[in-house]
Amino acid sequence: MRLWASQSISGKLTRMTLLVSGTALLLAYVSFLIYDLYTLRQQLMDSMATEANIVGANSVTALMFDDRQAAESTLSALRNSPQIRAAVILRPDGVEFARYLRDPAMQFELTNHLTLSERRHFWTTGRDILLGSRIQFQGGWVGSVYMLAETGDVARRAGRFGLISAGMLLICFVVALLATSTIRHLVTDPLTDLAHTAQIVTRERDYSVRAKIPPSSDELSFLVRSFNEMLEQIQARDRALEASRAELEQRVEERTAELSLTNKELEAFSYSVAHDLRGPLQHINNIGFLLQNSVSENLNNEGRLLIDRLLEGSKRMSGLIDDLLNLSRASSLPLHRRLIDLSDIAESIAGRHLSEKGIRLVRFMIARGAPVFADEGLMRVVLENLIGNAWKYTSKQDSAVIEFSSTVENDETVYFVRDNGAGFNPRYADRLFRPFQRLHSQSEFAGTGVGLATAYRIITRHGGKIWATGDVGKGATFYFTLPYAGE
Amino acid sequence: MQRSFTIGRFRRRRDHIVRSASRLAATFTAALILGSVATPRVVAQAAKPTEYDVKAAYLINFGKFVHDSEEQESRPSFDICILGRDAFGQSLNALASNETIDHLPVRVLHPDVTEAKSCGIVFISSLEGENIREDLVLLGNADVLTVSDASDFLERGGMIQFLLVQNHVRFAVNLDAVNRAHLVLSSELLRVAFYVTGKPPIGGKP
Repeated sequence: MRLWASQSISGKLTRMTLLVSGTALLLAYVSFLIYDLYTLRQQLMDSMATEANIVGANSVTALMFDDRQAAESTLSALRNSPQIRAAVILRPDGVEFARYLRDPAMQFELTNHLTLSERRHFWTTGRDILLGSRIQFQGGWVGSVYMLAETGDVARRAGRFGLISAGMLLICFVVALLATSTIRHLVTDPLTDLAHTAQIVTRERDYSVRAKIPPSSDELSFLVRSFNEMLEQIQARDRALEASRAELEQRVEERTAELSLTNKELEAFSYSVAHDLRGPLQHINNIGFLLQNSVSENLNNEGRLLIDRLLEGSKRMSGLIDDLLNLSRASSLPLHRRLIDLSDIAESIAGRHLSEKGIRLVRFMIARGAPVFADEGLMRVVLENLIGNAWKYTSKQDSAVIEFSSTVENDETVYFVRDNGAGFNPRYADRLFRPFQRLHSQSEFAGTGVGLATAYRIITRHGGKIWATGDVGKGATFYFTLPYAGE
Repeated sequence: MQRSFTIGRFRRRRDHIVRSASRLAATFTAALILGSVATPRVVAQAAKPTEYDVKAAYLINFGKFVHDSEEQESRPSFDICILGRDAFGQSLNALASNETIDHLPVRVLHPDVTEAKSCGIVFISSLEGENIREDLVLLGNADVLTVSDASDFLERGGMIQFLLVQNHVRFAVNLDAVNRAHLVLSSELLRVAFYVTGKPPIGGKP
């Protein structure tokens, strides 16, 4: 069975064809040989019977008029039948009348005789056949003829026939091989081509290839046609998919462009609004200041309180405008990346906080050396926001600790600012970085809700990530990453 | 009537000559009669055949190889007629009784020569001498096969003449005489003839 396991289809077809045709030819040869041997023998017997009849007919008068010479000359005509070795004519009383021997030296004695009821009989002894036949004349019999023939000629003919058959067997094998090449052309080549095409399609996902359609119009051609049709459908579907994807991409691009345009307009608007608000606000602030300093003696306590609140509101609004402008800048200013050290920035911020914000016991722990490749101004905004937040939310702690450091997670440097302040409810962690979203009330901790949004915008623009962990009363940690850090 | 009387006279005279000739028959090897178309029953009664036994058998056999080339009114029997002395004795009668020629029974007759024209075969004994010529003239061109053992039978216009060759009975044929009588002899018969004179008919018929 291993014979059939491997190999190509053409090899199997060749082997199958040769096996089948070889078997058929061998069987045909054997059966023909047997049949021919039988037929040859039968033909010999038939020709013997015919010759006996002819000899008999030609010997009638010789027998009737006792002419042995005539009978012997009749018998001598048997010289033309080389397989007849001997012949004898007997008179009805059994006495030998005439005799013919192919080889005069041969000894020939009749051992078999016809019985009275027999007209003809064959005896086979070894390779010889003996025929006895009565000589009939006008309803009676005038004698009998016996002929001895050898079948050696039969054997010789069988041998010759075998030789011819072997030759034919060889020719048939050649024809079978030729037929196989035709089959290969008609069946195997198209199959191989089909397999090759299928391989190209699977490996390279190239649906534009087509299998060659075989010249014949059989199942194979149908298969190839179907395969090609299938490829065509796939190709059409592929093309449609490609087209729709391109369309989708274009639409996304259009939307993005629209969106970014709207965004820019919005930013420009908010910037101009914030910028333009500053002038009148400064005006209000100045007047409030004048009121507080020059005319406060003429006011009662309630009046003074109102002026204080006015100034406070104006101050808050100023901070809000600053934050909004920062946010706007963070979004729109081009990035000027260069190598900077975050630790230096953190330290300067910490120093400013300690010197400006009065008497508070805050311990700053700032790790040395945090080189990044980023925009210095923007990174300063980020750290000011984060450290400022930490400062703000630790204001109610007796001993506040603010830490800036970095750690390595999954081959990425993660910077963080940690405090032991009020913390936040982790359920709302995702709201932290949205603008104007605050987790603490204004009375608890003052703020605009824009700082973390600005930090988020800046880190995102640098291609980094920012996130926070923490819990209520257990402090908070703000992490961020910056690609190209330290390069 | 007178002619018939004459033949009868000659027949009696030739009696002893026939007997001396019959001695030759003793030298014949086997039962030639039985070589003719015979039944197994005949085989059983094999005996030493005489010369005239052989001739009798031949005479009947001749009938089987002779045909009339012209249409003949159907005959009730095939007659073998013996003119002059009958040297065959009982052997011819015995053989004839068991034979048919062309599916006709064989009869042995001793007619007058004038009545012999309707016979199939006429045998004229050699003892007839000078009468043979007369008999043949009388038979004329009648379709009768004439057979004799007279030594100059063929020269006189007879058709078949018995010969003795090395103690074997053989025969010779005069084809010219046969052709004159619209008779056809089978080539098979001619093949075993000792010799044949005359020419075969051109185109089968004279």
